[in-house]
Amino acid sequence: MKAMKLLSKSTIALCAATAVLADERPAALIIAQGGLGDASWNDTAYAGFQSGLEKTGITGRPIESPDVVAQGEEIMRRAADGGFGLVISLEWIHGEPMEALAKDYSDTSWVIMNQTREGDNVASVVFGEHEGSYLAGALAAQVTTDTSIRGINEEAVVGVIGGFKAPGIDKFIVGFIQGAEAINPDIEVIVAYADSFGDPAKGAQMANAMFDDGADIVYQVAGGTGIGIIEAAKARGHYAIGVDNDQDGLAPGNVLTSMVKRVDVAVDQIVTNYAADTFPGGEVMNFGLAENGVALSPMTHTRDIIPASYVEKVEAMKAQIIAGDIDVWDVSNEGYPDFFK
Amino acid sequence: MQFEHLIASAIMLTTPILLAAMGGLINRRAGIVNIGLEAKMLAGAFVAVIVSSATGSWIIASLAAALAGAAIGWLFSLSITRAGANMIVAGLGLNILVAGVLGFILSWVYRSSGTLRLPDVALLPKILPSGLEFVPLVGPALAMLDPLTLLAWMTTGALPFVLASTRIGLWIRATGNASEMARSVGLQHLTIQDFTTACAGFFSGLAGAHLALVSLGLFNEGLTSGRGFIALAAFYFGRDRPITTAFACMLFGALEAAQIRLQLEGLPPKLIGTLPYVMVLIALVVVSIQAQRKSST
Repeated sequence: MKAMKLLSKSTIALCAATAVLADERPAALIIAQGGLGDASWNDTAYAGFQSGLEKTGITGRPIESPDVVAQGEEIMRRAADGGFGLVISLEWIHGEPMEALAKDYSDTSWVIMNQTREGDNVASVVFGEHEGSYLAGALAAQVTTDTSIRGINEEAVVGVIGGFKAPGIDKFIVGFIQGAEAINPDIEVIVAYADSFGDPAKGAQMANAMFDDGADIVYQVAGGTGIGIIEAAKARGHYAIGVDNDQDGLAPGNVLTSMVKRVDVAVDQIVTNYAADTFPGGEVMNFGLAENGVALSPMTHTRDIIPASYVEKVEAMKAQIIAGDIDVWDVSNEGYPDFFK
Repeated sequence: MQFEHLIASAIMLTTPILLAAMGGLINRRAGIVNIGLEAKMLAGAFVAVIVSSATGSWIIASLAAALAGAAIGWLFSLSITRAGANMIVAGLGLNILVAGVLGFILSWVYRSSGTLRLPDVALLPKILPSGLEFVPLVGPALAMLDPLTLLAWMTTGALPFVLASTRIGLWIRATGNASEMARSVGLQHLTIQDFTTACAGFFSGLAGAHLALVSLGLFNEGLTSGRGFIALAAFYFGRDRPITTAFACMLFGALEAAQIRLQLEGLPPKLIGTLPYVMVLIALVVVSIQAQRKSST
């Protein structure tokens, strides 16, 4: 026990020392389900965390737990007790306990992702997935009728498969439909839900069903289920659109593009703000196209097989969205639009 | 919506359930309720992807998957027959253990979480020429026919005969129906039970190989998604009879295929998603009512 106390004292002393150096207490990044090494959400966020720390000179470390969901409150409480001044959680489930904890730990800065939480010392990070999906839809709508491209039929039909029917997922889907219809008002967008984020066999079957119905491009918003969608596109010689990460390399040439969520940009920005004493407590930080929080992938494997004018059109639309000339429907704030119930 | 594609998709989705159900059925005939089919399917899928990538041969991959399933099944059986573990508890434990071990290997050896993607995975070949696709009604199904699907249905066809008319079939049934009697006539009933659990593992491993190699060519921790439990429901529904069980499997496969396509026709996905499970519930209720009637008359 004495040794423990001594150890914790020296830890505090160490923290105090670094705090003097960087003029801030260290930062913690709580890793979500899936853990580090997921080549996805967690790894991307951690990359941004590291670059933020390097730039600002603040110390910090990731916190991993095998039971990150059930132990959420305990993990966050310990982080705050342990002298961390900034606690960023990547786990969606942590939103509610964080809101409660933030009141007790008012001199700690808290950050939660993909939702809006109350509290003067809580910053909420949301991404403009609807904006990125709009661009994906606009690109798909241009490609889907161009029969000069391998694997494309003349029918104006594209598909989108969501994990579950929920506003967080429909935010992507509605943006995609809106973007597709902006290019071609008569386009048919087939929408389906897998009812699972982890069933690739079902994802492949669903994508095949859509290909049978004349679709040649399917946008996946279904996590692990989506891996099957991409494999089906590869097997059938058609196209999938990836999500969250740059998934273009999963089936080179058969993933048209990916709607990338730049969680690294967001985390980097927050660490920088925290170091500069401009932590946006109580605010909602929106990372849309303008903030480079969402974007289409560089299309490494597909850029050369589609006409450059399509990509230019998408770039033009991106500029219009940033300038406010195009208003993309956001299901998470505005509810459901008339064209999608 | 083309009906031909629905049939093809239903047959393809039936195969893994059917393979696992046939294995589980043999096992149950010998007196062991195998809750761990799911685990052996998952292990089979994992081994199939690794071996297929390493050798480039679907035959070796499928065989390795089956043997891995059989080995796990045999060890699992020893815990029940020799160490006296409760078969339900051991089965549940096996499901959790295998999922955990595979997750560990994934992150430890392959530095990946959830999905294993390897180069040059050989998929199951199509047996028949693709020209058959234009045959009315069953064309796409014939063109997509793979060797494991064929094996599954051949097993289904042979099993009634094997169980009813061969020596080994008789031993299995004797062990399940009257283990004391079997022992008194000199049958090694524990060894027979171990053999049938290994059989269940063998077929579940093949089921996993089919899931992984029929079109995906990769492993994912959610690949089985409860299909082992659907197989369990199928042979309960079929009252351990191969042909009836096969019909149950086909029902589940068809429902899964229809679920995907009905949704494209505008039915709410949540409702359709519950259909297979509602069917399982109804099936179990019907079976138990029938059993009650039988015992009361």
